Amino acid sequence: MAEIRVTDRNGGERTISTDSGRPLMEALRDADLNLQGTCGGAMSCGTCHVYIKPSWNEKLPARSEDEQMMLEAIGDLVEVRPNSRLSCQVEISDALNGIEVEIAPEV
Amino acid sequence: MTSNPTPINLKMLLESQTLKRAPFPVPVGWYFIDYSENLKAGELRNISVFDQEWVLFRSESGDKVGVTDPYCPHLGAHIGHGGKVCGDNVRCPFHHWEYDTDGMCKAIPYAKVMPPITKKQAILRTLPTVEKYGMIWSWFHPLCEAPHFELPYIPEIEDKTGYTGSRRGSWSANTCIQEIAENGVDVAHLKFLHNAPGIPPVSASYNENQMRLDIGNGYIVGDMYGPGLNVMRFNQKDPVTGKTITATMISYSVPVTHDTTQMNMSFRHVDYPEGSPELAFTKKQIDHMIGAAEGEESAGFESVDFIVWNNKRYRPNPLLCDGDGPIFPFRNWFKRFYVDADLSKI
Repeated sequence: MAEIRVTDRNGGERTISTDSGRPLMEALRDADLNLQGTCGGAMSCGTCHVYIKPSWNEKLPARSEDEQMMLEAIGDLVEVRPNSRLSCQVEISDALNGIEVEIAPEV
Repeated sequence: MTSNPTPINLKMLLESQTLKRAPFPVPVGWYFIDYSENLKAGELRNISVFDQEWVLFRSESGDKVGVTDPYCPHLGAHIGHGGKVCGDNVRCPFHHWEYDTDGMCKAIPYAKVMPPITKKQAILRTLPTVEKYGMIWSWFHPLCEAPHFELPYIPEIEDKTGYTGSRRGSWSANTCIQEIAENGVDVAHLKFLHNAPGIPPVSASYNENQMRLDIGNGYIVGDMYGPGLNVMRFNQKDPVTGKTITATMISYSVPVTHDTTQMNMSFRHVDYPEGSPELAFTKKQIDHMIGAAEGEESAGFESVDFIVWNNKRYRPNPLLCDGDGPIFPFRNWFKRFYVDADLSKI
């Protein structure tokens, strides 16, 4: 079980709690935040893009080449930052309890 | 009191119960798809070869031919039912995703961002396809490897002048290519099935993807380039003119499934003048290759081989005797064309 502190696209803040072991994308997608996660984790759509507060960086897995490519591909349409992630590639764990996530703009 | 009988070798007697007609996967190689003239610019149709369906299409410009897996990588629509050729690409009917002849996704009309994999590699399986000899040829490899060899130059069908012959044939065989090709090294059957006057000497040599077969000290010289192409030259002295005349059988068989084959052949020869004895002899040679030529006792493949091919089972442990041809070296060579198969059983 972990709590996620979310900033939505309007700047509103909420906390949602979710089970460990599932992708962050699914928790956000199911929380009525207008985050689509269309491709289901295949890294082919870029619709689960989030910014994760940099202080959490060392607890996150490194970006894979495919995640990097998808983030670069959406870079023409939305702002991609050093702390940009595809939330489908971040698995919720107890270690991420309290993680601070901002939903990125829609592509 | 009787003595104990000799134990029976039951394997010898019972093995046939577990034999399969063709226990092989589709072999790797270049295969004939169709004659170039049969596919017009902008045309698209479904074909069945290599144990599955494929979509065959020609670009609107006419110069590119594609052979693709039917099922769109997006949501699985069958591109060959309602799909369309658009420029150099084939377009899926469902959402108009487009693919080129290499299977690269070239357009998704509504996506703001192309999925990154579309820039890295093909997302739709296609077969490497070329046009040569006035035909469309595709390379089949079950794990999508690039071609291991190139199709050879065949003067009889590629040179602009000097050769002629429009005779072609196509036959369905209810077995696989290995079984059909094995008859080349099985010279004993030439006497007994084909009624040849004797068992001719044979030599077979193997060099990577090629096999050279010499039957009767140069009477038939065959070059096989993988399972899908066999060029056999029949060299025979014409008793009338005393000249040695060569007629060429270009054979290009296609695995329709792993155990059925479409055998296709073109017959070519030197462009002798109309009415010449050389031309008459050449035509008789070609009749002889296919069936029974007039005035001959022996029989070509059409009349006798199919009854055996269509009904036999493959014996991995055949009982061979002296006088049989070099069957095992041929089988060992042919194994190189099977990928992902349990070679111990074949």
